[in-house]
Amino acid sequence: MEYDENGVSIVSAELKKEIFEEARKDFRYEEYVRGCLNCGVCTGGCPPQRFFDFSPRIVLQKMKSKDPELIWTMMDEYIWACFQCFTCAMICPFLNNPGGVIAILREIAVRRGFESARKVLKPYSRVLLKLTAYGNQLSPDMIQPDFFPDWGPHIGYASTDLAAKRKAIPMPTLQVTNLAWDVAPETMKELYDIFDESGVFKIIEAVDPSLYEIIQDIVDDVRSS
Amino acid sequence: MAIEISNRLGLANVKSDYIHAAGRKLENIHEQLLELEAKGEVKVIHVKDENKPKEAETLFGWKKKIPTNKIWHHKSCGQCGNIPGYPVSFLWFMNQLGLEYIDERNQTSCTAWNYHGSGTSNPVGLAAVAVRNWHRAYELGLFPIFHCATTFGDYKEMRNLLVENKELRDEVGRIMRKIGRELVIPEYIVHYSEWVHVMRFEIAKLKKYDLSNIIVTVHPACHCYKMIPEDCIYDKDIYAGKRTAVSTGVMLALGAQVADYSTWYDCCGFGFRHILTEREASRSFVMDRKIRPMVREAHSDVCITQDTGCTTTLDKNQWIGKAMGYTEQVPVMADVMFAALACGADVFKIVQLQWHTTDWRPLCEKMGIDWKKSEEEYNAYLEELKAGGKTVNLYEYPKS
Repeated sequence: MEYDENGVSIVSAELKKEIFEEARKDFRYEEYVRGCLNCGVCTGGCPPQRFFDFSPRIVLQKMKSKDPELIWTMMDEYIWACFQCFTCAMICPFLNNPGGVIAILREIAVRRGFESARKVLKPYSRVLLKLTAYGNQLSPDMIQPDFFPDWGPHIGYASTDLAAKRKAIPMPTLQVTNLAWDVAPETMKELYDIFDESGVFKIIEAVDPSLYEIIQDIVDDVRSS
Repeated sequence: MAIEISNRLGLANVKSDYIHAAGRKLENIHEQLLELEAKGEVKVIHVKDENKPKEAETLFGWKKKIPTNKIWHHKSCGQCGNIPGYPVSFLWFMNQLGLEYIDERNQTSCTAWNYHGSGTSNPVGLAAVAVRNWHRAYELGLFPIFHCATTFGDYKEMRNLLVENKELRDEVGRIMRKIGRELVIPEYIVHYSEWVHVMRFEIAKLKKYDLSNIIVTVHPACHCYKMIPEDCIYDKDIYAGKRTAVSTGVMLALGAQVADYSTWYDCCGFGFRHILTEREASRSFVMDRKIRPMVREAHSDVCITQDTGCTTTLDKNQWIGKAMGYTEQVPVMADVMFAALACGADVFKIVQLQWHTTDWRPLCEKMGIDWKKSEEEYNAYLEELKAGGKTVNLYEYPKS
């Protein structure tokens, strides 16, 4: 993939047009993109705007321009700055939802397996594996000092005697170390069917084919159990 | 006996005669849902008398029934994996108040943390997961309460999308038939903090410690009050109905001093993706936009949260701040955890503060809690368990 001087990937005009049409056809689009006064209230309240080159006002303005070239400039790093807090949606006088627009654009980026999306999500793969293969996201044995050194020395608390400490939690569903709670295999199977039917597994295959293979091995094991 | 509210700091107990209205009026989704039910297009999980509901007002003055009994607990990935005292404190209160519930293995994540972090799902996938979990509560004859704010926000959004879009209903209905379930939607989407809010005066009656010298700052969760804001509880007697009432309400009822700080409306910096893959952004946000204002402006003894990601982000990212000269520290815990502490729940066995990173011991000492005794007992308990001892649980494990 080639990039221009602003770090935006260089692709054909046809693809840019396809991306815009794909976004505009989403059934949520009309709900999220309405009139815009360019008042900037959304950007004034936007938390990531304080730390990133990011503005929900610009997101709305570019979508309203209907210019595929302008919309394409957001598809690499720009859309991944958003915190998805929906401050913008709450305070917009016109009920626009820039955070919702970002969600639509991110869906397109991962569905099409864009290289920028793959790069951004690479460190996220452990979480994605846990969620799609086992049905919940953050397990106690993931909280390890080597992965979270910036969380301080106390983070090592979960590394020692974890099984006993989890057993001491007075909720039987939580007395496991490799899952947030002990999801029943039959429940996982229902989730796999949902992921098959809704296209979630296909999305993961597009954005991370190696991870998809690992997940499918686990899915096959659980399904055959 | 009525609980008297006395707050010396900030705006938390300012009253107003006005019903809060933000100048915009949206469709009442509750009415539309009942219309769909009448047409036979969906089944609805109703709040019944056996749920012992309490009524609250939302942003536009609409009534919302909060069930308090016969609850199906929809747990949170982050809470159960990382902040176990969060759900335990909630269940402990239900036990104290003699209310019925089920917590079981037959439940999945809402998958919305993943969606907002990575985009690797879509409305059909999210809505199908939501309906799958709602249907599980429905078949047990219970009403679901959602522990996580992101689950709450996502499920409010999925409820709205399902009510407003026949194509989505049809597609989700098809998937439900495939997995042997039906399209059901709860009459109200209820967050645990709403249960805590409507039960705050019953909770306050269990109080064991004087909190009149404890200064709390409240961090309201974005996915509670910014996602589908019209479905969030507001109260004319709390912030004059201009900010969401949950969490602050129970703090006032317990007699703690709720103080304001200038960035109360900011998010926590979690960012869904950033907390894992771009942590400098989360760290900077926590210290610059939340912890420093809470400590410098409000001299806060404790930061009170109502969500999974906020609790994790605000608690875990204070230690590293020292490297950049940020000396401000404040312990972080959910409203229900602080309330449990105030009502005499064990620091280690119930509130499970040992998993938290920022030092909470000075807070316990200021509250008059003997955390050292609790730690000794907990360590002895761990040794018993390691030697093959049996866990003392809050409930019997479901047979199903």
